[in-house]
Amino acid sequence: MRSRTLLAPVVALAGAALLAGCAMGGGQPAGEVVLDPDAKLEGEITVWSWDVAATALDRLGDEFEAAHPGTTVNVVDVGYDNAYDKLSVGLQAGSGLPDVVTIETDRAPGYINEFPAGLVDLDPVLGDDEADFDPFKWQAQSDADGALKVAPWDSGTVGLFYRTDYFEEAGIDPASIATWDDLVAAGEVIKAKTGHTLLSLDVATGGGFQMLLQQQGQGLFDENGDITVNSPEAVEALTLLQTLNEKGLLKNVKGWDGRVTSAKDGDSAVTPEAVWWIGTLLGDAPELSGTYGVTELPAFEEGGVRTSNSGGSGLSVPAQAKNPQLAAAFVAFALADADNQVSMMQNEGLFPSYLPALQADYFAEPQEYFGGQPVYELFAEQTANIPAITFTTDNAEASDIVANAVVAAVLNGADPQQTLDDAAQQIATATDREIAE
Amino acid sequence: MTATSALSSVDPARRGGPDGREPREALARRTAFARGILRAPVYLLLAVASVLSVLPFLWMVIASTHQTSELFGTPLPVLPGGELWVNLARLQESVNFSQVMLNSLAIAVIYTVFSSIVSVMAGYGLATYRFRGRGVLLGVVLVTMMIPMQVLLVPLFQMMASAGWIDSYQAVILPFLANAFGIFLMRQAFLDFPLTLIEAARIDGAGELRTFYRIVLPVARPQIAALVIYTFISQWNSFIWPLLMLNTEDKYTVPVALNTMIGMSRVDYSGLMLGSLLATLPLMLLFLVFQKQFVSGLLGGAVKG
Repeated sequence: MRSRTLLAPVVALAGAALLAGCAMGGGQPAGEVVLDPDAKLEGEITVWSWDVAATALDRLGDEFEAAHPGTTVNVVDVGYDNAYDKLSVGLQAGSGLPDVVTIETDRAPGYINEFPAGLVDLDPVLGDDEADFDPFKWQAQSDADGALKVAPWDSGTVGLFYRTDYFEEAGIDPASIATWDDLVAAGEVIKAKTGHTLLSLDVATGGGFQMLLQQQGQGLFDENGDITVNSPEAVEALTLLQTLNEKGLLKNVKGWDGRVTSAKDGDSAVTPEAVWWIGTLLGDAPELSGTYGVTELPAFEEGGVRTSNSGGSGLSVPAQAKNPQLAAAFVAFALADADNQVSMMQNEGLFPSYLPALQADYFAEPQEYFGGQPVYELFAEQTANIPAITFTTDNAEASDIVANAVVAAVLNGADPQQTLDDAAQQIATATDREIAE
Repeated sequence: MTATSALSSVDPARRGGPDGREPREALARRTAFARGILRAPVYLLLAVASVLSVLPFLWMVIASTHQTSELFGTPLPVLPGGELWVNLARLQESVNFSQVMLNSLAIAVIYTVFSSIVSVMAGYGLATYRFRGRGVLLGVVLVTMMIPMQVLLVPLFQMMASAGWIDSYQAVILPFLANAFGIFLMRQAFLDFPLTLIEAARIDGAGELRTFYRIVLPVARPQIAALVIYTFISQWNSFIWPLLMLNTEDKYTVPVALNTMIGMSRVDYSGLMLGSLLATLPLMLLFLVFQKQFVSGLLGGAVKG
């Protein structure tokens, strides 16, 4: 009796494992998909996207169908964020995915490295257009051998949003700000004269540290995959954030909603953020119309790079797609076409990473919300300047460790160099990578 | 004031009278009063707790009647606004809300009916019949409850894909019909079931099925009500599996559809709040209908006899 009661759970466990695991081993589909740019276009594709991106593709799908009789484009809004659950499970299972999926730039390197055979190489269809795309996007969304896996779509070109009324009240000309040091000095004047902080940042998620790093042409890893989070540039970026807080110029807010609320309440004078922040302002803070302007991001040194990247996304064709040829043709139609990219900017607010589109007259138009300033022109000029950086499979893990380091230095006053050295060591232990010299 | 002094203040002629009714009533009133004083802090605590639990719900009501942009302001609105119909129209337009409500209802009702049948019958079988391998069978059921969902996702997904069931409701419903928690709950409930009742039915010549339907089921109604509520809620709120299985917007369930309202650079909070508010209505209705049985079902295990 005794041995039976002991044995029962073991047998049960084996049985349950059998029940739960009987469909294991689907894996990746056999045979690599090679695109043929001259393939005859026919049949049907399904596209997964979300939010306004889905609206845009739905609209372009109708135009594509009209231009290529005998084709059908179905666009499904699978929801943002949790779409990645569907994507991950589909790639893992080797089935269940549609012909085209949307992937954000931040997430793309993870999927490309995790599922090397999961996404189709888009070079045969888009390779000739490489020079026409935002160079950072192209690199971030290609694999280690340079094969493009996720076609660049909308760009996350960063600028400096500022409150014109606060600057006026403090008597500062935003055009005179060329470096971060200038901005910190201006911030002190603004704080003294208007009582407003300079920046509202969500420190717990890294407070824009990686954006400042990319501005200096650096990622968390270099092109050899070595850890660079304790480089002199990184220390400079973290010291800047720490200084802002020590001088009382930084308002720490919590999460996305905290940032929106802070902008709406007018807590701070500037917001360094990507071009899509305009959509947030127009939608959630319409009453602030006329109080905002945009200028280039301040450089770290006089004459340095004055932009960075935050967000943006791309389109990809899974290897399991039923109609990869048509899928790739649709991706090229939507993304490597100036008119279509401009139409997505005009109708859905998706800022193109396709450089020829940025020449369009639309970008020079004055924007009422920004007091008539043609703000898109600035983002259009800066898009080609976004420094390219390297991503690895370990970016997600390293990001968490770096965010902790940012909290330690900014909120708890730890020494930036020491903190980042520790962070680099932690990343090295966690990922088995070398720390760059 | 003590009970003795209370007694002494009563008319002596009546004190200890032949029926002794009046003093006992007064005593009862006094003790009730004393108990009331003792309970005051408890009631105060409960009042605070209920206010705290009603507040988020109230905020949902308020938020669903404002524009999203108003929800980010300081101070936050405390009174309902006038945007309810606008939000409702947008909710209907952007996610076809009436359709997804119907989808959710259909899935939850079908799942609840069949899953409850499986749970009740399996639980009854495991509790009352003695057969070889009963322990192992129960063990298997319990172990499936311990396997985290994340581990099951990919293999289950592959099974559904090879069956060609992706984007269909059977893929949402079937894999979880045999609900380990439900089976275990019913088994525990039937363990307390008086065997003598079943034996009496047998002696009277009732077959096994007849015994089950006529004798066992009516007695187990409170527990079954609890099971039904639990099963319905779990399916109604279920998110990740319907998200993975359903690929057509018109087939979405409520949680999956509401999730598509979270955008890249904006979140439609007022729409989300209104959708969530409407989504709680069927649950409240269900609870009101089954409330009596539900409470006795919950207490059934605690107070025996």
